[in-house]
Amino acid sequence: MSLIELSNVSKLYGFGDATTLALDEVSLSIEENEFVAIMGPSGCGKSTLMNLMGLLDRPTHGDYLLRGRYVSKLRASQRAKIRRDTVGFVFQSFNLLPRMTVLENVALPLVYKGVSLNKRIKQASAMLDRVGLRNREYFYPRHLSGGQAQCAAIARALVNDPSVIIADEPTGNLDSANSRLVMELLSDIHKTGGTILFVTHNPELTRYATRVVYMHDGAVIHDEQTVIGEVAATARRIMFTVPTKTEEDDLAGVSLLMKHVPDATLDTDESAKKSPKKKAKPRVKSKKTKGSKK
Amino acid sequence: MSTLTRGNVKMALASVRSTKWRSLLTMLGIIIGIVSVVMVVGIGEGVKREIAHQIDQFGKDLITVRPGTFGAEDSNNIGASTDLLFGLNSTTSLTEKDLKAVQEADNVRLAAPLAIVPGSVKADDETMKNGLVLATNADLPQALNRSVSYGDFFGSDEETANVAVIGRNIAQSLFHDQVPLGRSFTFRGHQFIVWGVFNEFKSTPLSPASNFNNAIFIPYKTAEKIIGNEVQMYSILAKPDKPEDNKAAVNSIHSSLLATHGGEEDFRVLDHDQSVAASSDVLELLTTMIAAVAAISLLVGGVGIMNIMLASVTERTREIGVRKAIGATNRQILNQFVLESAVLSLVGGIVGVLVSLAGVFALRAYTSLNPVISLEAILLATGVSLVIGIIFGATPAIRAAHKDPIEALRHE
Repeated sequence: MSLIELSNVSKLYGFGDATTLALDEVSLSIEENEFVAIMGPSGCGKSTLMNLMGLLDRPTHGDYLLRGRYVSKLRASQRAKIRRDTVGFVFQSFNLLPRMTVLENVALPLVYKGVSLNKRIKQASAMLDRVGLRNREYFYPRHLSGGQAQCAAIARALVNDPSVIIADEPTGNLDSANSRLVMELLSDIHKTGGTILFVTHNPELTRYATRVVYMHDGAVIHDEQTVIGEVAATARRIMFTVPTKTEEDDLAGVSLLMKHVPDATLDTDESAKKSPKKKAKPRVKSKKTKGSKK
Repeated sequence: MSTLTRGNVKMALASVRSTKWRSLLTMLGIIIGIVSVVMVVGIGEGVKREIAHQIDQFGKDLITVRPGTFGAEDSNNIGASTDLLFGLNSTTSLTEKDLKAVQEADNVRLAAPLAIVPGSVKADDETMKNGLVLATNADLPQALNRSVSYGDFFGSDEETANVAVIGRNIAQSLFHDQVPLGRSFTFRGHQFIVWGVFNEFKSTPLSPASNFNNAIFIPYKTAEKIIGNEVQMYSILAKPDKPEDNKAAVNSIHSSLLATHGGEEDFRVLDHDQSVAASSDVLELLTTMIAAVAAISLLVGGVGIMNIMLASVTERTREIGVRKAIGATNRQILNQFVLESAVLSLVGGIVGVLVSLAGVFALRAYTSLNPVISLEAILLATGVSLVIGIIFGATPAIRAAHKDPIEALRHE
């Protein structure tokens, strides 16, 4: 039994002429202890897919089995409870509550579970120890660096011992040193048996993953197993072969990656021109220079 | 209290503290509302007690006969009761025939009439401004349970036809003398000699007209002569033979008056308790009405809370999204915000009660009012503020609870 099993899942937004197809009959299954990177240009449905798998949203069509349980038709309150018990979210912007201490932030999911104060503090404290923030317990989020804040957010995601961690661009707001800190932490969780799904625009980060899923226009166009420590083959191709000499190329960014996806037949030139507003471009470039040094 | 609720209360208090000015301004509406309601009710209660005292001083066995049907049936008519205590407003009146009927009723020891005699009073170079002339008979001191401190009350014989007994305040204002015995004044062309000065009566600020300290009492036979026809009595005061005969006396007065009025019940016979009730009914209604007006400010305070909570929900949209993502159910979000607005309102209510208590002490210290704030009033005010918080916090909380987590997380 797969941990996550999506079959023909579609998500539509709006209605009438304004209908947008965010996910187009996606079928995907994720096993326990996988470390999955999801890549693709902005607007390709990555976040929608994450929200669906994290039970923040419901699919318009299709079935979603989480640990063998049909969860696509559940009511909001039931989904909230499953989120609480089986899903840990990590966001690009950390999303720690500013008026609470780091410890209180980490303990928050336990509050909704009804755990007593003493146990909450103990567990949250243990989690902070695990992410290396034991000595920052009584700091407020504004007193933490970006990397530390994200580690605290990961501690919060872990505190309920979830089946899966869903991280939407966890390194999106971080510099490379802090990115590494966060990714090492996620990798550590993976090594101890955790299942992690993360979205990234940075091919370099596929090093940490065991599997990379490429998306475009709401569909999964390529899915490859990778070896930990190596950049995924497809992702590497754009890192080393696509020249990004002009700003145009930078803007085209990850969309160019699609040109190199083996089994996709895309009019990439057009799509690159159509959506030249990728946020991740500069990062792709920096990774590139880093990669070429190697 | 569940661990979640305790956490929410702590958070709510923290949020009140972290936005001190905003919270204070929000609570101001509730504070003003609670203070005005509590003070109005307190003043009303204080005056009610004083009226009860004022009636008490005449003795528990005092029976009052009043003309008209003013009383229980008529107590909703505020306009008909400007003078609360002795029914000066009544349109019909009692006559000497009624007095005789009361005096001759079974179980009645004595009866004294009270009638206002219009006219101005002059003494030497002073004119009486604040007071009235009442016609009565020799039984009044006993009926009122009050003795004459200097001099004597007039009897019923011819010898004391042109004498008067005055209240304490009149002695001061008209004669500038504590004991103006033997001095004289002119009333409607007749000369009266001051025969005695009453001991001080307790009075209330709400019924100055029935303040006997400001009255001059003259024999009603003399008053009849001055006016030229029958004196119109606004009240007959009676005492039973023995205090325990009170009920029997009330009944016999009632039946004999009914006989003289040809079966028409255009009078009321009230014992002590009924007099207190009749006076406080009207007062209670008055208090309730003013308190209801004051309660409108509570309502405004509630709207203020709702306003600030709506703003707060919008401001904290992202927080709501995060809480939902990590597993808060809609109900838990709802509870959090309802609790926050309840705490805000409750704190306002408690501050309001404290301010009211301070106000009561100030009124007691600097005015003649003696407001009374009961524990019930305090608990009620606190409870009402809590309920207002919950009611007006509901809409913003429902909004918060129904926010879409994805939208909320995207909110800047």
